[in-house]
Amino acid sequence: MTEILRTGASGRTSFASLTGSGQLVLGVLLVALCLGISAAAPQFYSEANIIAILRQCALVLIVASGMTMLIIAAEVDLSVGASLAFVGCVGMAVLNATDSLALGLVSALAFAGAVGLVNGIVVTLLRVNSLIGTIGTMMMLQGGVYLFTREAVQNHHQLASFTALGAGYWGPLPIPVIFAVAIFALCAVTLRFTTIGRYLYAVGANERAVRLSGIRSARLKLAAFVVTGLCVGVAGLILASLMNAGQPTAGRGFELTVIAAVILGGTSLTGGSGSLFGTLLGVLVLKVIDNGIIILGWNQDLQMVVPGIIIILASYFDLLRSRHHA
Amino acid sequence: MSSVTDRALGPPPVWRRLIGRQETAAFICLVALLVFFSLTADNFFSTRNFTNVLGQASLTLIAGIGCAVVFISGEVDISIGSLLATVALPLIVIMNDTNSLLLGVAGAMAVGLAVGVINGFLSAYLGINSLIVTLGMMFTLRGGVYLYTGQRAIADDAGLDSFIALSDGRLFDVLPYSAVIAIILLGVFVYVLRFRRFGRQIYAVGGNREVARLAGYDVRRVKFTCFVISSLLATCSGIILAARVGSAQHIAGLNFEFQVVAATVLGGVSLSGGIGSLGGMTLGVLILQFLSNGLRGLSLPTEWQLVITGAIIIAAVALDELKRRRAHGD
Amino acid sequence: MALITKLLMASAAIIIATSAQAANMPKKIGYVTNYATHEWYQNVIKGMKAHAKELGIEVEVQDANLDIAKQVSAAEDFIAKGVDVLILTPVNEEGVVPLLRRAKAAKIPVVLEGNPVKGMTTLVAICDYDTGYFAGVEAGKYAKQKLAGVAKVMNVGLPLLSATVLRSKGFMDGIRTEIPSATLVHDLDGGGNPDRALEVSAAALAKNADINIIYGINDSSALGGLQAWKAAGKSQDNLLTVGTGGEGLAFINAIEKEPSYRIEAAMFPEKEGFTTIDAAVKVFNGEPVPEHIVSPTAPIIGDSWKTYYSYDGTTRSIKWDAVNALKPPAKCMETSADLKK
Repeated sequence: MTEILRTGASGRTSFASLTGSGQLVLGVLLVALCLGISAAAPQFYSEANIIAILRQCALVLIVASGMTMLIIAAEVDLSVGASLAFVGCVGMAVLNATDSLALGLVSALAFAGAVGLVNGIVVTLLRVNSLIGTIGTMMMLQGGVYLFTREAVQNHHQLASFTALGAGYWGPLPIPVIFAVAIFALCAVTLRFTTIGRYLYAVGANERAVRLSGIRSARLKLAAFVVTGLCVGVAGLILASLMNAGQPTAGRGFELTVIAAVILGGTSLTGGSGSLFGTLLGVLVLKVIDNGIIILGWNQDLQMVVPGIIIILASYFDLLRSRHHA
Repeated sequence: MSSVTDRALGPPPVWRRLIGRQETAAFICLVALLVFFSLTADNFFSTRNFTNVLGQASLTLIAGIGCAVVFISGEVDISIGSLLATVALPLIVIMNDTNSLLLGVAGAMAVGLAVGVINGFLSAYLGINSLIVTLGMMFTLRGGVYLYTGQRAIADDAGLDSFIALSDGRLFDVLPYSAVIAIILLGVFVYVLRFRRFGRQIYAVGGNREVARLAGYDVRRVKFTCFVISSLLATCSGIILAARVGSAQHIAGLNFEFQVVAATVLGGVSLSGGIGSLGGMTLGVLILQFLSNGLRGLSLPTEWQLVITGAIIIAAVALDELKRRRAHGD
Repeated sequence: MALITKLLMASAAIIIATSAQAANMPKKIGYVTNYATHEWYQNVIKGMKAHAKELGIEVEVQDANLDIAKQVSAAEDFIAKGVDVLILTPVNEEGVVPLLRRAKAAKIPVVLEGNPVKGMTTLVAICDYDTGYFAGVEAGKYAKQKLAGVAKVMNVGLPLLSATVLRSKGFMDGIRTEIPSATLVHDLDGGGNPDRALEVSAAALAKNADINIIYGINDSSALGGLQAWKAAGKSQDNLLTVGTGGEGLAFINAIEKEPSYRIEAAMFPEKEGFTTIDAAVKVFNGEPVPEHIVSPTAPIIGDSWKTYYSYDGTTRSIKWDAVNALKPPAKCMETSADLKK
């Protein structure tokens, strides 16, 4: 048994030295997927399809940007799917009541930010494990949205600017993609070039040490929860715009897609390591698979199986890489 | 740490020892719930209702044993919900073919064992984060079930009396057999965790990996075994669920892992390993089951049931944390 | 004189009969629905409660919230409580077979709503195939008039349920009675929810946008498909969108505001709830009931929704006279049993 393991290990090292970086693996996988699907179905690289993929990526990427920061800080938020639906309903209701895009935006962001704040308080102040605490808030949000509205909140205001939020273009780019790029860039810069970013990594890697060195780790985590909440606010409004209604049933399973993308991108669930660039690749890989299965006309049930296997494989390759470096 | 100070100060009074125990908060919470619903919901306080709830709780209880064992060893397993749906397929298909419950159960156990071995190998031996392994497994199994069944349930056409008894039968006409099975399994694992070497190893491995290694325990093998136990117990839950719904359901067990994880943590089993007991997990399961039964008795709509359950989960875990911090003087 | 006596006796008989019937009303009916937060079931429950109130029956509702295990537990609670009649909307047809067995053992009659179950006494349900079929016929007529007789369909379906598969099949069969060359360009799994439908439709339209009819197995699916069309920057000029259900406000809003949303295969959930209570009273009294009691459906074209519903800006109300005047068929053209062949 040990002998097998040892030979396995030596084989692994040589392979890992070839791959070098986890993101490289993902990048190669992405390119291979795109080439493979394109070869089988040329419609894949049509302008219309690329825009459709990007728009789908945008929603996930917006929330995944915040989630990456949160997971780097060794916390997680499972309530984002339920919150996504609730935000859309609240935003649409305010838009209907006020006919003002600005007020709708502000209220959606305020609501989603408040959800993030509550999650943060539950985790930092009440010290509830975030995996459990956000299951709790997820249930409360799922129940709450039906208390708020029993039916989909229809678009009665017909603001053109609101429709543009989801379906509009700025030059050749869909507006949701612009939002996603902006939020992604903001989070990436924060993580990489600011003190806050470095502290987030430190808190995730060793919270006790960070606390002892005088940094208020609870505040940092609270901030990461609020940022994730705000990202959900933006995504929720875009989704409501795309669907032209606030749907209380929306967002089922969204949290799993987001978390899957983040960990596929190489961010460690135990905190302290990861990058937004990896998350971007993770989102692209998952959505290209999703889209490819439809374009190829394959059985849509594969949309669950393939990501499941890829997540395990990707984290295995990532592990090989880190062992090699160590 | 706290036990050292206790000893220094002499034996603590009984109440102190009780309050210091992890399960006490959960126990008080359960008693409070029972009293509250007995006073407010009709037909709540009756033998029939209590034994019904035990039957309903058996699914979470059995899978919860596995979940607690994996948690104590310092790992997680969230593939159990999808596994519930997966093992029902060989069970029902084989029973329909052979008219034998034994062969069906053997088939289900074989599949459950295979999944446990894969989870355990990837997590314990290859060292991939178990949350990721079992998340991937959760997607893969669920998708596989959909592919195999074409998203249709498979009916139990054999209609074996022994299989039906798993759902309808009661010991001495009182206690559902599913609850009997749960209690037996619980007894076996309480014994193993408390009095067998393997039980001590699980706590040691989850509590401090290095210390466990220095003590000469095979950390990988202990963790591997925990994953196999978890899958096999979830398989038992899957078989009972299949009997309760008389079929292999492609949608069976959706969100089941959330329920089990919530109940286990509620009962004071720590996600970070080494801490917790099966008694605590049992209390956590009973709290959630009686809560949902009582809320149904009050005829509250789903939205309120969700809000209240969510709030109680957060409150119970928060209280538990508070107590633990007090105990450690943190 | 003899005639008058006869009339008097007859009316006395009627009075006795009705009072006898009133004495035999079940006191309490337990209903386990599969998804109470969905608009369809909210309106089913609304119709049930309204009719039960007229008859002086108490209806208690429990929600399985799409969880078969929870459905079994909730029904178990009702059986333990001893309700007079149990009504079930199965989360899954096969999954409630043990419940029927147990209710029988406890001597509680059961009425199924929505989907048939092996060993049942009676089922109240619409005909899914027929609903799709007649909407398909109307869509075919519309395409002949406005879409140059061409029909290229994107079906935003849900293979998970036999009911929704039947709707899609009926729709295609119906449309082919008018336009035999009608083609099914995309056959999608939209998950029955709007965001998934949107995502899947967007990918399908990117692959091939040469369609002119969007069919959704429910309103969310149809609207998801339509939103994907709009998000792709396409005009609705040569498009027809057909929804199914008419379960909430969404379809009224869509008919009023979306130029392509012209046909709704309406299924009148309130009426379904109403009929279910009638069936419950019958099985409680041991009266003979057909195995399948059909609840009516009808294709609604454009503004004609106002025939069946009124809308005051926040809620809709059913117009009972119009809906009760619809004559349901005695038997469905195709059922889930035909799918298994």
